[in-house]
Amino acid sequence: MLQRHKGFLPWLLLGPGLIWLALFFLIPLYYMGRVSLLEGSDLEGYEFTWNFQTYVDALEAYKTQFGRSLLYAGAATVIAFLIGYPLAYVIALRGGRWRNALLLLVILPFFTTYLVRTLAWQTILDDESVVVDVLKTLGLVADDGRVLATTGAVIAGITYNFLPFMILPLYAALERLDKRMLEAAYDLYATRRQVFLRVTLPMSMPGVVAGVLLTFIPAAGDFVNAELLGSPQQAMIGNVIQSRYLEVTDYPTAAALSFMLMGLILVMITIWARIAGTESLMGAEAK
Amino acid sequence: MTERDIERLIETEISRRRLLRQAGAGVTALSFASFLAACGDDDGGLEGGGGDESLEMEAIPKGEVSDELNFSNWPLYIDVKGKRRPTLEAFEAEYGTKVDYTEEINDNTEFFGKVRQIYAQGDSGGRDLHVVTDWMASKMKQLGYVQKLDKSELPNVEKNLLDSLRSPSFDPNREFSVPWQSGMAAIIYRSDLVQPSSVNDLFDPKHEGKVTMLTEMRDTVGLVMLGMGMDPEEASTDEMLEAIEKIQQAQESGQIRRFTGNDYARDLLKGDVVMSVGWSGDAIQLQADNPDVKVLLPEEGFMLWSDNMQIPVGAPNAYTAQKFMDFVYQPEIAADIAAWVNYVTPVQGVQEILAKQDPELAENPLIFPSDADLERSYIFRELTPEEDTEVSEAFQRAIGA
Repeated sequence: MLQRHKGFLPWLLLGPGLIWLALFFLIPLYYMGRVSLLEGSDLEGYEFTWNFQTYVDALEAYKTQFGRSLLYAGAATVIAFLIGYPLAYVIALRGGRWRNALLLLVILPFFTTYLVRTLAWQTILDDESVVVDVLKTLGLVADDGRVLATTGAVIAGITYNFLPFMILPLYAALERLDKRMLEAAYDLYATRRQVFLRVTLPMSMPGVVAGVLLTFIPAAGDFVNAELLGSPQQAMIGNVIQSRYLEVTDYPTAAALSFMLMGLILVMITIWARIAGTESLMGAEAK
Repeated sequence: MTERDIERLIETEISRRRLLRQAGAGVTALSFASFLAACGDDDGGLEGGGGDESLEMEAIPKGEVSDELNFSNWPLYIDVKGKRRPTLEAFEAEYGTKVDYTEEINDNTEFFGKVRQIYAQGDSGGRDLHVVTDWMASKMKQLGYVQKLDKSELPNVEKNLLDSLRSPSFDPNREFSVPWQSGMAAIIYRSDLVQPSSVNDLFDPKHEGKVTMLTEMRDTVGLVMLGMGMDPEEASTDEMLEAIEKIQQAQESGQIRRFTGNDYARDLLKGDVVMSVGWSGDAIQLQADNPDVKVLLPEEGFMLWSDNMQIPVGAPNAYTAQKFMDFVYQPEIAADIAAWVNYVTPVQGVQEILAKQDPELAENPLIFPSDADLERSYIFRELTPEEDTEVSEAFQRAIGA
């Protein structure tokens, strides 16, 4: 039982975090909300008019890119899960003395910047590359086809870049799994399949929930992969926000789009929480 | 990846027009941060403000040359020798001024986003000189963000500036801007893979998915308009929108692989792309890697742009900055810069000097275009703010964002 502090100690401990959030989250959020409701332009100046029309127009104009972002982020999350779960499983339960070395390999790509890694994928996937040759020989890519500047390349890039965010929480959940539970299940004549589906998987749900959130949220707002590995037909909502802020300097639309992206992600998380169960989302072990 | 590949990756990523937004998150975070910081100002950030109509300002007063000068420029845009910058050192030697040179400009709009809040308050953030492209120079002037120059302090500019650059529509008397370097936007192609003869070859279905265009609206749209028989110096916005429509259709049909900053260089060298709308200075650097890279200055014409030095309001050393503008208009100094950056120099007399130092360079038509070529060059006309918003927005949408 934790001792309950009544004094100011809890506030002292919470303080830095709260101040940080207030300064770098709440205040910017307030200003961004305000900017999204401005009317005007750079040269004429801006005026605050509760101009909600920006939201309507922006959604209408960019619904394709919104859809694409959710689709790509969703696909990348599913693929990352399918690759990440077996990997995390093996490292956590069969890794033995190689466990730390294997984990290091998962984290190793982070030692290089995100941008350079994505640029390297340009070289790996370009039209004359070995990878594309092999895919053509296997008939997976048409003879006059290409991989770079396609949807496949963008989803692959996102999956690659966010894969460690999926693996690490899965690993953490699987690693602390109580092995005696597995033994008990076997003692009760459960098959391997039953053990996995009824014991291992449910008990690793907190990791699955965390991994999915950590992968999906940044992936939905990503624009580097679409920019470097895609063509205009793969433009995601992040690319639009980027172009509104920096190219068109249409700040209200950019802010409105950012808010809608945030809202959309919140909706997706809520749905996901319903599916996966609130308890796992809160980190409690599933029954 | 071989070491050579990595080197090339780095080279192509770090040339002059590198759009840092390619570098992604970092930059957005950066300008976003400055944007937010500015939002925190007393006057509520973006709200209010707007254009400064009063351009009846006084020219920069005469004064004394100061000890320091802060110069903001694009990356790889001044001569370098080892770790030193000879042009800056020459200025330091002559005036005893220490030049603080910052390569902080990677993209016109991105730079604008970074400085607009402080410039609007009459503060330059310590900058004495910045370099921006024609249309942004025009916007800076319209907003009252830059100072009026004292022409009597600029005798070298008066004497040596190329005739074709003396009276652009946005600054007919060159009172708010002095060209730093110029360049051409034309078609850069792989002569071993394709033989284009016209702007319209960019739209030839034979090259589907093997063509790139620039994200710089005026260069891409201007060139496409020339192919359609329109004149970018006179065109109506309807004509511009028509050209953008054509670009959009090509984008949607998959004809155009990507819209790029100067990262088209990599695609061309690889052969993933056979033809690009690109910049002349890049082409010269690419030819060193692959002699099959050629530039087509199309029959229909090509775009000519300049990057301009300007002195922002509130510049702490405005008088010295003006001295520097004039200093680089000495042909000997301009020759050093031209020999290194490989763009079109706006200074007369440089070709004669380079002919002695490096005859091959002096004969390069991309650095010293012939009069016959220049007759086919066009400068995109100045757009009013409303036109700019309309056309830029349509273009951004056409290129997928």
